[in-house]
Amino acid sequence: MKRFFQRLRNHSKLAYFSFWFLVFFYIVSFFADILAPYHFDYQFRNKPYQPPTKIHFIDESGHFHIRPFVYNMIIDDPVFRTYREDQSTRYPVKFIVNGPERKIFFVFKTSKYLFGVDEPAGIFLFGTDTYGRDIFSRLLYGGRISLSISIVGVLISFTLGMITGGIAGYFGGLIDQILMRFVEILMVFPSFYLMLSLRAMFPLNLSSIQVYFLIVLILSLIGWAGLARIIRGMVLSIKEEDYVLAAKSLGLSHWRILFFHIFPNTFSYTITALTISVPGYIIGEAALSLLGLGIQEPYPSWGNILSSTIGNLKVVGDAPWLLLAGVFIFAVLINFNLLGDALRNVLDPKNW
Amino acid sequence: MEKILEIKNLSVIRKQKEKFVPVLNDINFSIEKDELFCLVGESGCGKTSLALSIMKLLPKSFTVKSGEIFVNGKNILAMDEQSIRSMRGREMSIIFQDPGAYLDPLFTIGVHMKEAFHGDTKQQQVLMTSALKEVGLEPYMLHSYPHQLSGGQQQRVMIAMALINKPSLVIADEPTTALDILTTYQIINLLDTIRKKYHPGMLFITHDLKLATKIGTRTGIMYNGYIVEIFIPGKTRPAHPYSSILMGTEYKYSRISEATLSWQSDICPFFEKCPERDSECEKQIAFTWYQDMTGIRCIKHGRNSQV
Repeated sequence: MKRFFQRLRNHSKLAYFSFWFLVFFYIVSFFADILAPYHFDYQFRNKPYQPPTKIHFIDESGHFHIRPFVYNMIIDDPVFRTYREDQSTRYPVKFIVNGPERKIFFVFKTSKYLFGVDEPAGIFLFGTDTYGRDIFSRLLYGGRISLSISIVGVLISFTLGMITGGIAGYFGGLIDQILMRFVEILMVFPSFYLMLSLRAMFPLNLSSIQVYFLIVLILSLIGWAGLARIIRGMVLSIKEEDYVLAAKSLGLSHWRILFFHIFPNTFSYTITALTISVPGYIIGEAALSLLGLGIQEPYPSWGNILSSTIGNLKVVGDAPWLLLAGVFIFAVLINFNLLGDALRNVLDPKNW
Repeated sequence: MEKILEIKNLSVIRKQKEKFVPVLNDINFSIEKDELFCLVGESGCGKTSLALSIMKLLPKSFTVKSGEIFVNGKNILAMDEQSIRSMRGREMSIIFQDPGAYLDPLFTIGVHMKEAFHGDTKQQQVLMTSALKEVGLEPYMLHSYPHQLSGGQQQRVMIAMALINKPSLVIADEPTTALDILTTYQIINLLDTIRKKYHPGMLFITHDLKLATKIGTRTGIMYNGYIVEIFIPGKTRPAHPYSSILMGTEYKYSRISEATLSWQSDICPFFEKCPERDSECEKQIAFTWYQDMTGIRCIKHGRNSQV
């Protein structure tokens, strides 16, 4: 593992950075319950579309304060929703504050958050949405859904594609014919419409957890077919390699050869393909949420945070911070792509 | 002597574009314990096919038409996949031609050795290390990847893997072809030392007749899927015209026409290229066995002491 990081860093500084960037994103969204100042559905009814809160060190009379503070923002003009800072009271930013109890993944309880300010002021690093909910907190919580959907979905489709393609390629004959025709049937449907029609098979009023697993399932059931075909092709060529013949001559079983000699030799391709397909899941989830078929309000995902801007250019113009979900999606996608490109070389023992 | 390998009337055909092409015809020979049987022949004459049919690893397009193969008295061709698998590596093992391609590039030598080892896991580490030392490699190489070793070292690893379970039959399919001349002799010496220590029956396939006559206890010469002659180097002189050509003694190869192989089974297999052919040769010629387990498939150069 240590050598892996060494090799990754030696191969590409950029990919090494991407790796830690992604690890950082995953950790941050995993600990959203502690890091987010507000729960994802906590509303400030009097602060819709509030721009990002300014954090001050120097007050209006020119005094410097070591502890940063914010001012309460109040609506100046209710029609155009312009805000101004009420400079009469300073609200210092508090670290490790107590608040209502939250559950981390339904298991661990916490009532302490990393930072916050006393009400009625609010600390909105990325502003608020139409209901006065903190975008920063919602992005952290949303990352939990968007990022975990991609990992779980990729693992499911990877396993399915690997096993189907491996069996079809290695054993050939009738099994190959049946499996590959099935894969082709899956592949002829345009994946987006297949996704929509699969979603349409299920009722709309599902609980958020059910919707979550449904989306994971739908996305991975669409994603594995292409992988299976490519794995089959690779297995077809690898099984003719001399080391497979040598493994047979050592008296190894078919399954042992398939799992310990043929699959590992496809990894240089599959791991790259996987990291590159991760973005597809994030986008797929975003697309479903955008159409209102994915994660439903008030539960946040990057897709449905972005979807709140749809069809309303005025809102986008006035509150551009709503588009930050798109920036997050973009950042994760580009880092996954950079990492995937580098992994292909790093995982090949001939480059060690 | 106990017979390690016995092949009776083996014929193998290959399917090629709906046509069946003979690969091996009427192969008959046996290998005894502590014997080094060399098999010599040009490319494409069926040496590797013979080795693979003994391991029962022939590609799918190949079919065994007739014949029987016995390893340690067990009929290989009648066995199911499960029992043949338990024999591979334990009772018979094979060393391949190009060692680099036959080692999985993703795994260390130690992983390969572990896979080759079928036995008590408690002794595994000790036996792996001693097997490596036996072939002249250092134990630290267990952690090396195949591409980090030289060709000679890779071939030594293959030999260590083939011999770790002390099989009674070792097939070496051109083990030195990919190596330079010095490494070749090192590997040959190594095989010789191992043979003197464990006394396996060995089938050594090569296309170098000089090498075969130096090391083999018996040498078979293959042509076009037939064994045309079996002789004992140093004792009997090869007599078949093809053997003479290979020895480079009597004929220059340039005298031989580049005729296409007609695959006729009813005439002498060497008929088209034979410098001594005449009308007598245009019939099916049987393999004549002599008392010292040698023989020839030629009517012109037979000896008198027939079995």
